[in-house]
Amino acid sequence: MESFLRYWLVWPAVEHFNASHSWAWAFAETFHFFGIILLIGGVGAFDLRILGVAKGLPVAAVRRLLPWGVFGFSLCVATGLQFVTGFRANLPMHPYVVITTDIWLQWKLLFILLAGLNLAAFYATGMSRAVENLPAGTDAPALAKVIAGASLFLWLGVIYFGRLIPEGL
Amino acid sequence: MWQFLESIENSGFSTFVRETPSVLAYPTVLALHTFGMAFLVGLSGVIAVRVLGVAPALPLPPLARFFPLIMAGFWVNAATGVILTALAAQSMLSNPDFYIKLGAIGAALVCLGQLRHHAFGKAGNGATGAVPSKGRVWAGAMLTFWGIAVLAGRLTAYESDVRRQAAVAVVIAVLVLLAVRMLALRVGGAFNNRATFSARTASGPGIPTANH
Repeated sequence: MESFLRYWLVWPAVEHFNASHSWAWAFAETFHFFGIILLIGGVGAFDLRILGVAKGLPVAAVRRLLPWGVFGFSLCVATGLQFVTGFRANLPMHPYVVITTDIWLQWKLLFILLAGLNLAAFYATGMSRAVENLPAGTDAPALAKVIAGASLFLWLGVIYFGRLIPEGL
Repeated sequence: MWQFLESIENSGFSTFVRETPSVLAYPTVLALHTFGMAFLVGLSGVIAVRVLGVAPALPLPPLARFFPLIMAGFWVNAATGVILTALAAQSMLSNPDFYIKLGAIGAALVCLGQLRHHAFGKAGNGATGAVPSKGRVWAGAMLTFWGIAVLAGRLTAYESDVRRQAAVAVVIAVLVLLAVRMLALRVGGAFNNRATFSARTASGPGIPTANH
Protein backbone atom coordinates (compact mmCIF):
# COMPACT_ATOMS: atom_id res chain seq x y z
CA MET A 1 0.00 0.00 0.00
CA GLU A 2 2.71 2.45 0.98
CA SER A 3 4.79 1.90 -2.14
CA PHE A 4 1.63 2.15 -4.25
CA LEU A 5 0.72 5.51 -2.71
CA ARG A 6 4.30 6.74 -2.83
CA TYR A 7 4.24 6.04 -6.55
CA TRP A 8 0.81 7.50 -7.36
CA LEU A 9 1.00 10.62 -5.20
CA VAL A 10 3.91 12.08 -7.16
CA TRP A 11 3.11 13.28 -10.67
CA PRO A 12 6.49 14.06 -12.25
CA ALA A 13 5.00 16.35 -14.89
CA VAL A 14 3.27 18.49 -12.24
CA GLU A 15 6.35 18.47 -10.05
CA HIS A 16 8.43 19.59 -13.01
CA PHE A 17 5.89 22.28 -13.93
CA ASN A 18 5.87 23.66 -10.38
CA ALA A 19 9.65 23.55 -10.16
CA SER A 20 10.36 25.17 -13.49
CA HIS A 21 7.85 28.04 -13.26
CA SER A 22 8.36 30.33 -10.32
CA TRP A 23 4.78 31.61 -10.68
CA ALA A 24 3.12 28.18 -10.69
CA TRP A 25 2.45 27.95 -6.94
CA ALA A 26 1.07 31.50 -6.60
CA PHE A 27 -1.04 30.92 -9.73
CA ALA A 28 -2.57 27.75 -8.27
CA GLU A 29 -3.18 29.41 -4.90
CA THR A 30 -5.05 32.28 -6.56
CA PHE A 31 -7.32 29.88 -8.44
CA HIS A 32 -7.80 27.84 -5.26
CA PHE A 33 -9.21 31.05 -3.73
CA PHE A 34 -11.33 31.85 -6.78
CA GLY A 35 -12.68 28.30 -6.37
CA ILE A 36 -13.52 28.92 -2.69
CA ILE A 37 -15.43 32.06 -3.63
CA LEU A 38 -17.41 30.26 -6.34
CA LEU A 39 -18.13 27.38 -3.95
CA ILE A 40 -19.51 29.67 -1.22
CA GLY A 41 -21.27 31.87 -3.79
CA GLY A 42 -22.94 28.89 -5.46
CA VAL A 43 -23.40 26.13 -2.90
CA GLY A 44 -23.42 28.54 0.08
CA ALA A 45 -26.17 30.70 -1.44
CA PHE A 46 -28.26 27.56 -2.05
CA ASP A 47 -27.72 26.36 1.54
CA LEU A 48 -28.66 29.79 2.88
CA ARG A 49 -31.94 29.79 0.91
CA ILE A 50 -32.81 26.32 2.27
CA LEU A 51 -32.00 27.58 5.77
CA GLY A 52 -34.46 30.42 5.26
CA VAL A 53 -32.17 33.37 4.48
CA ALA A 54 -33.57 35.19 1.41
CA LYS A 55 -36.66 32.99 1.60
CA GLY A 56 -38.19 35.10 -1.17
CA LEU A 57 -36.12 33.14 -3.70
CA PRO A 58 -37.78 30.15 -5.39
CA VAL A 59 -35.48 27.14 -4.84
CA ALA A 60 -35.50 26.06 -8.49
CA ALA A 61 -33.99 29.43 -9.46
CA VAL A 62 -31.28 29.30 -6.77
CA ARG A 63 -30.44 25.82 -7.99
CA ARG A 64 -29.19 27.42 -11.21
CA LEU A 65 -26.26 28.73 -9.14
CA LEU A 66 -25.10 25.23 -8.17
CA PRO A 67 -23.07 24.59 -11.36
CA TRP A 68 -20.98 27.65 -10.38
CA GLY A 69 -20.28 25.98 -7.05
CA VAL A 70 -19.38 22.71 -8.77
CA PHE A 71 -17.03 24.60 -11.08
CA GLY A 72 -15.44 26.29 -8.05
CA PHE A 73 -14.98 22.93 -6.36
CA SER A 74 -13.39 21.57 -9.56
CA LEU A 75 -10.94 24.48 -9.59
CA CYS A 76 -10.04 23.65 -5.98
CA VAL A 77 -9.58 19.94 -6.74
CA ALA A 78 -7.40 20.67 -9.78
CA THR A 79 -5.19 23.19 -7.98
CA GLY A 80 -5.24 21.04 -4.82
CA LEU A 81 -3.88 18.12 -6.83
CA GLN A 82 -1.23 20.47 -8.20
CA PHE A 83 -0.15 21.28 -4.61
CA VAL A 84 -0.08 17.64 -3.48
CA THR A 85 1.32 15.84 -6.51
CA GLY A 86 3.89 18.56 -7.16
CA PHE A 87 4.62 19.24 -3.49
CA ARG A 88 8.34 18.41 -3.65
CA ALA A 89 8.90 21.41 -5.90
CA ASN A 90 7.98 23.56 -2.87
CA LEU A 91 9.39 21.62 0.10
CA PRO A 92 11.66 18.58 0.15
CA MET A 93 8.93 16.32 1.51
CA HIS A 94 7.25 13.37 -0.17
CA PRO A 95 3.46 13.86 -0.63
CA TYR A 96 2.94 10.47 1.00
CA VAL A 97 4.66 11.74 4.13
CA VAL A 98 2.62 14.96 4.01
CA ILE A 99 -0.68 13.08 3.78
CA THR A 100 0.20 10.56 6.46
CA THR A 101 1.59 13.11 8.95
CA ASP A 102 -0.25 16.41 8.45
CA ILE A 103 -3.21 16.20 10.83
CA TRP A 104 -4.88 19.31 9.35
CA LEU A 105 -4.71 18.01 5.80
CA GLN A 106 -6.27 14.79 7.10
CA TRP A 107 -9.09 16.74 8.78
CA LYS A 108 -9.62 18.69 5.57
CA LEU A 109 -9.86 15.54 3.45
CA LEU A 110 -12.22 13.98 6.03
CA PHE A 111 -14.46 17.07 5.89
CA ILE A 112 -14.52 16.98 2.08
CA LEU A 113 -15.57 13.31 2.32
CA LEU A 114 -18.28 14.22 4.88
CA ALA A 115 -19.51 17.06 2.63
CA GLY A 116 -19.79 14.50 -0.18
CA LEU A 117 -21.75 12.09 2.04
CA ASN A 118 -23.94 15.00 3.15
CA LEU A 119 -24.68 15.76 -0.51
CA ALA A 120 -25.50 12.08 -1.10
CA ALA A 121 -27.85 12.23 1.92
CA PHE A 122 -29.56 15.27 0.37
CA TYR A 123 -30.59 13.08 -2.57
CA ALA A 124 -31.01 9.76 -0.72
CA THR A 125 -33.42 11.19 1.88
CA GLY A 126 -35.61 12.68 -0.85
CA MET A 127 -34.87 16.20 0.37
CA SER A 128 -33.61 17.23 -3.06
CA ARG A 129 -37.05 16.42 -4.50
CA ALA A 130 -38.85 17.92 -1.52
CA VAL A 131 -37.29 21.33 -2.07
CA GLU A 132 -37.11 21.16 -5.87
CA ASN A 133 -40.31 23.07 -6.50
CA LEU A 134 -40.39 25.04 -3.28
CA PRO A 135 -41.87 28.41 -4.25
CA ALA A 136 -40.80 31.80 -2.96
CA GLY A 137 -41.60 32.48 0.68
CA THR A 138 -41.93 28.79 1.66
CA ASP A 139 -39.96 27.06 4.41
CA ALA A 140 -37.93 23.97 3.57
CA PRO A 141 -38.51 20.75 5.57
CA ALA A 142 -36.50 20.52 8.81
CA LEU A 143 -34.31 17.69 7.49
CA ALA A 144 -33.39 19.75 4.42
CA LYS A 145 -32.38 22.59 6.76
CA VAL A 146 -30.20 20.24 8.80
CA ILE A 147 -28.46 19.04 5.63
CA ALA A 148 -28.01 22.62 4.34
CA GLY A 149 -26.61 23.71 7.72
CA ALA A 150 -24.26 20.73 7.74
CA SER A 151 -23.12 21.62 4.22
CA LEU A 152 -22.21 25.19 5.23
CA PHE A 153 -20.48 23.97 8.40
CA LEU A 154 -18.50 21.30 6.55
CA TRP A 155 -17.36 23.58 3.71
CA LEU A 156 -16.27 26.30 6.15
CA GLY A 157 -14.47 23.53 8.06
CA VAL A 158 -12.71 22.51 4.85
CA ILE A 159 -11.52 26.12 4.38
CA TYR A 160 -10.45 26.33 8.04
CA PHE A 161 -8.40 23.13 8.01
CA GLY A 162 -6.98 24.09 4.64
CA ARG A 163 -5.58 27.26 6.19
CA LEU A 164 -4.03 25.16 8.99
CA ILE A 165 -2.17 22.76 6.66
CA PRO A 166 1.19 24.62 6.86
CA GLU A 167 1.03 24.31 10.69
CA GLY A 168 0.90 20.53 10.45
CA LEU A 169 3.86 20.04 8.11
CA MET B 1 7.93 56.05 10.57
CA TRP B 2 9.85 52.77 10.32
CA GLN B 3 10.40 52.81 14.05
CA PHE B 4 6.68 53.18 14.54
CA LEU B 5 5.92 50.26 12.22
CA GLU B 6 8.61 48.21 13.88
CA SER B 7 7.09 48.86 17.28
CA ILE B 8 3.68 47.70 16.01
CA GLU B 9 5.26 44.60 14.57
CA ASN B 10 7.10 43.84 17.81
CA SER B 11 4.28 44.75 20.19
CA GLY B 12 3.24 42.12 22.69
CA PHE B 13 0.03 41.45 20.80
CA SER B 14 1.70 41.03 17.39
CA THR B 15 4.43 38.82 18.80
CA PHE B 16 1.89 36.66 20.61
CA VAL B 17 -0.34 36.16 17.57
CA ARG B 18 2.66 35.46 15.36
CA GLU B 19 4.64 33.17 17.61
CA THR B 20 2.30 31.26 19.89
CA PRO B 21 2.15 27.62 18.79
CA SER B 22 -1.65 27.61 19.21
CA VAL B 23 -3.54 27.15 15.94
CA LEU B 24 -6.20 29.43 17.42
CA ALA B 25 -3.95 32.46 16.92
CA TYR B 26 -2.34 33.24 13.56
CA PRO B 27 -3.88 30.41 11.44
CA THR B 28 -7.35 31.11 12.79
CA VAL B 29 -7.08 34.83 12.03
CA LEU B 30 -5.98 33.82 8.53
CA ALA B 31 -8.90 31.39 8.20
CA LEU B 32 -11.38 34.06 9.35
CA HIS B 33 -9.91 36.35 6.68
CA THR B 34 -10.72 33.62 4.13
CA PHE B 35 -14.28 33.14 5.47
CA GLY B 36 -14.87 36.87 5.20
CA MET B 37 -13.57 36.89 1.63
CA ALA B 38 -15.80 33.96 0.66
CA PHE B 39 -18.97 35.61 2.01
CA LEU B 40 -18.15 39.15 0.88
CA VAL B 41 -17.03 38.26 -2.64
CA GLY B 42 -19.10 35.08 -3.07
CA LEU B 43 -22.48 36.52 -2.12
CA SER B 44 -21.97 39.97 -3.66
CA GLY B 45 -20.79 38.01 -6.72
CA VAL B 46 -24.12 36.17 -6.85
CA ILE B 47 -25.92 39.52 -7.05
CA ALA B 48 -23.47 40.72 -9.71
CA VAL B 49 -23.78 37.68 -11.98
CA ARG B 50 -27.58 37.82 -11.65
CA VAL B 51 -27.51 41.48 -12.70
CA LEU B 52 -25.24 40.48 -15.60
CA GLY B 53 -27.90 38.06 -16.81
CA VAL B 54 -26.99 34.70 -15.27
CA ALA B 55 -29.98 32.76 -13.85
CA PRO B 56 -32.57 35.32 -15.03
CA ALA B 57 -35.30 33.32 -13.23
CA LEU B 58 -33.77 34.42 -9.93
CA PRO B 59 -35.91 37.30 -8.58
CA LEU B 60 -33.63 40.20 -7.67
CA PRO B 61 -35.32 41.82 -4.62
CA PRO B 62 -34.92 38.85 -2.19
CA LEU B 63 -31.18 38.78 -2.95
CA ALA B 64 -30.95 41.99 -0.91
CA ARG B 65 -31.28 39.70 2.14
CA PHE B 66 -27.68 38.65 1.55
CA PHE B 67 -26.43 42.15 2.38
CA PRO B 68 -26.09 41.60 6.16
CA LEU B 69 -23.88 38.56 5.45
CA ILE B 70 -21.93 40.47 2.80
CA MET B 71 -21.29 43.31 5.25
CA ALA B 72 -20.42 40.84 8.03
CA GLY B 73 -17.83 39.37 5.65
CA PHE B 74 -16.43 42.84 5.05
CA TRP B 75 -16.14 43.73 8.75
CA VAL B 76 -14.59 40.38 9.67
CA ASN B 77 -12.00 41.04 6.98
CA ALA B 78 -11.42 44.63 8.03
CA ALA B 79 -10.70 43.45 11.60
CA THR B 80 -8.58 40.41 10.68
CA GLY B 81 -6.90 42.47 7.97
CA VAL B 82 -5.74 45.05 10.53
CA ILE B 83 -4.32 42.25 12.71
CA LEU B 84 -2.55 40.54 9.81
CA THR B 85 -1.08 43.86 8.70
CA ALA B 86 0.15 44.61 12.22
CA LEU B 87 2.03 41.28 12.32
CA ALA B 88 4.13 42.25 9.32
CA ALA B 89 3.70 46.03 9.30
CA GLN B 90 7.05 46.87 7.71
CA SER B 91 6.99 44.40 4.84
CA MET B 92 3.29 44.98 4.11
CA LEU B 93 3.38 48.77 4.09
CA SER B 94 6.49 48.80 1.90
CA ASN B 95 4.91 46.41 -0.59
CA PRO B 96 3.28 48.14 -3.62
CA ASP B 97 1.13 45.05 -4.08
CA PHE B 98 -0.51 45.71 -0.70
CA TYR B 99 -1.65 49.14 -1.89
CA ILE B 100 -3.01 47.66 -5.12
CA LYS B 101 -5.05 45.28 -2.96
CA LEU B 102 -6.39 48.09 -0.75
CA GLY B 103 -7.18 50.24 -3.79
CA ALA B 104 -9.01 47.37 -5.50
CA ILE B 105 -11.05 46.68 -2.33
CA GLY B 106 -11.99 50.36 -2.08
CA ALA B 107 -13.02 50.42 -5.74
CA ALA B 108 -15.00 47.17 -5.38
CA LEU B 109 -16.87 48.61 -2.38
CA VAL B 110 -17.79 51.73 -4.37
CA CYS B 111 -19.07 49.44 -7.16
CA LEU B 112 -21.00 47.36 -4.61
CA GLY B 113 -22.69 50.49 -3.28
CA GLN B 114 -23.61 51.59 -6.81
CA LEU B 115 -24.76 48.07 -7.70
CA ARG B 116 -26.99 48.06 -4.62
CA HIS B 117 -28.39 51.44 -5.63
CA HIS B 118 -29.13 50.37 -9.22
CA ALA B 119 -30.38 46.85 -8.48
CA PHE B 120 -32.39 47.43 -5.28
CA GLY B 121 -32.81 51.18 -4.91
CA LYS B 122 -35.31 53.42 -6.63
CA ALA B 123 -33.15 53.37 -9.76
CA GLY B 124 -33.84 49.68 -10.33
CA ASN B 125 -37.24 48.16 -10.96
CA GLY B 126 -37.42 45.73 -8.08
CA ALA B 127 -40.71 44.15 -9.07
CA THR B 128 -39.67 42.94 -12.50
CA GLY B 129 -36.02 42.52 -11.67
CA ALA B 130 -35.06 44.70 -14.61
CA VAL B 131 -31.76 46.46 -13.99
CA PRO B 132 -30.68 49.53 -15.92
CA SER B 133 -27.59 48.95 -18.03
CA LYS B 134 -25.61 51.15 -15.62
CA GLY B 135 -26.13 48.47 -12.99
CA ARG B 136 -24.54 45.91 -15.29
CA VAL B 137 -21.44 48.08 -15.70
CA TRP B 138 -21.07 48.40 -11.91
CA ALA B 139 -21.57 44.63 -11.53
CA GLY B 140 -18.85 43.84 -14.07
CA ALA B 141 -16.51 46.42 -12.55
CA MET B 142 -17.07 45.03 -9.05
CA LEU B 143 -16.22 41.47 -10.12
CA THR B 144 -13.06 42.74 -11.84
CA PHE B 145 -11.95 44.68 -8.74
CA TRP B 146 -12.68 41.72 -6.43
CA GLY B 147 -10.58 39.56 -8.74
CA ILE B 148 -7.71 42.05 -8.56
CA ALA B 149 -8.05 42.28 -4.75
CA VAL B 150 -7.93 38.50 -4.27
CA LEU B 151 -5.04 38.13 -6.69
CA ALA B 152 -3.04 40.98 -5.14
CA GLY B 153 -3.79 39.68 -1.64
CA ARG B 154 -2.50 36.24 -2.52
CA LEU B 155 0.62 37.66 -4.16
CA THR B 156 1.72 39.87 -1.23
CA ALA B 157 3.58 36.78 0.05
CA TYR B 158 5.81 36.55 -3.06
CA GLU B 159 8.87 38.25 -4.57
CA SER B 160 8.16 40.99 -7.09
CA ASP B 161 9.22 39.08 -10.23
CA VAL B 162 7.10 36.09 -9.21
CA ARG B 163 4.22 38.48 -8.56
CA ARG B 164 4.41 39.99 -12.02
CA GLN B 165 4.55 36.63 -13.78
CA ALA B 166 1.80 35.09 -11.65
CA ALA B 167 -0.45 38.12 -12.20
CA VAL B 168 -0.02 37.88 -15.98
CA ALA B 169 -0.66 34.11 -15.89
CA VAL B 170 -3.84 34.56 -13.82
CA VAL B 171 -5.18 37.31 -16.07
CA ILE B 172 -4.55 35.18 -19.18
CA ALA B 173 -6.19 32.13 -17.58
CA VAL B 174 -9.27 34.13 -16.52
CA LEU B 175 -9.61 35.59 -20.04
CA VAL B 176 -9.32 32.08 -21.53
CA LEU B 177 -12.00 30.77 -19.14
CA LEU B 178 -14.32 33.68 -20.03
CA ALA B 179 -13.75 33.08 -23.75
CA VAL B 180 -14.51 29.36 -23.35
CA ARG B 181 -17.70 30.21 -21.47
CA MET B 182 -18.78 32.69 -24.16
CA LEU B 183 -18.08 30.16 -26.89
CA ALA B 184 -19.95 27.41 -25.02
CA LEU B 185 -22.96 29.70 -24.52
CA ARG B 186 -22.94 30.61 -28.20
CA VAL B 187 -22.70 26.99 -29.37
CA GLY B 188 -25.29 25.93 -26.75
CA GLY B 189 -27.58 28.80 -27.79
CA ALA B 190 -27.39 27.87 -31.47
CA PHE B 191 -28.09 24.24 -30.57
CA ASN B 192 -31.09 25.19 -28.43
CA ASN B 193 -32.52 27.43 -31.16
CA ARG B 194 -32.31 24.59 -33.64
CA ALA B 195 -33.92 22.19 -31.18
CA THR B 196 -36.90 24.49 -30.56
CA PHE B 197 -37.18 25.14 -34.29
CA SER B 198 -37.31 21.45 -35.21
CA ALA B 199 -39.72 20.77 -32.34
CA ARG B 200 -41.97 23.46 -33.73
CA THR B 201 -41.87 22.16 -37.30
CA ALA B 202 -42.26 18.56 -36.15
CA SER B 203 -45.61 19.32 -34.55
CA GLY B 204 -46.69 20.61 -37.95
CA PRO B 205 -48.10 24.01 -38.80
CA GLY B 206 -51.79 24.47 -38.23
CA ILE B 207 -52.47 20.85 -37.24
CA PRO B 208 -53.87 20.76 -33.69
CA THR B 209 -52.11 18.13 -31.62
CA ALA B 210 -54.21 15.60 -29.77
CA ASN B 211 -54.72 15.61 -25.99
CA HIS B 212 -54.20 19.34 -25.54
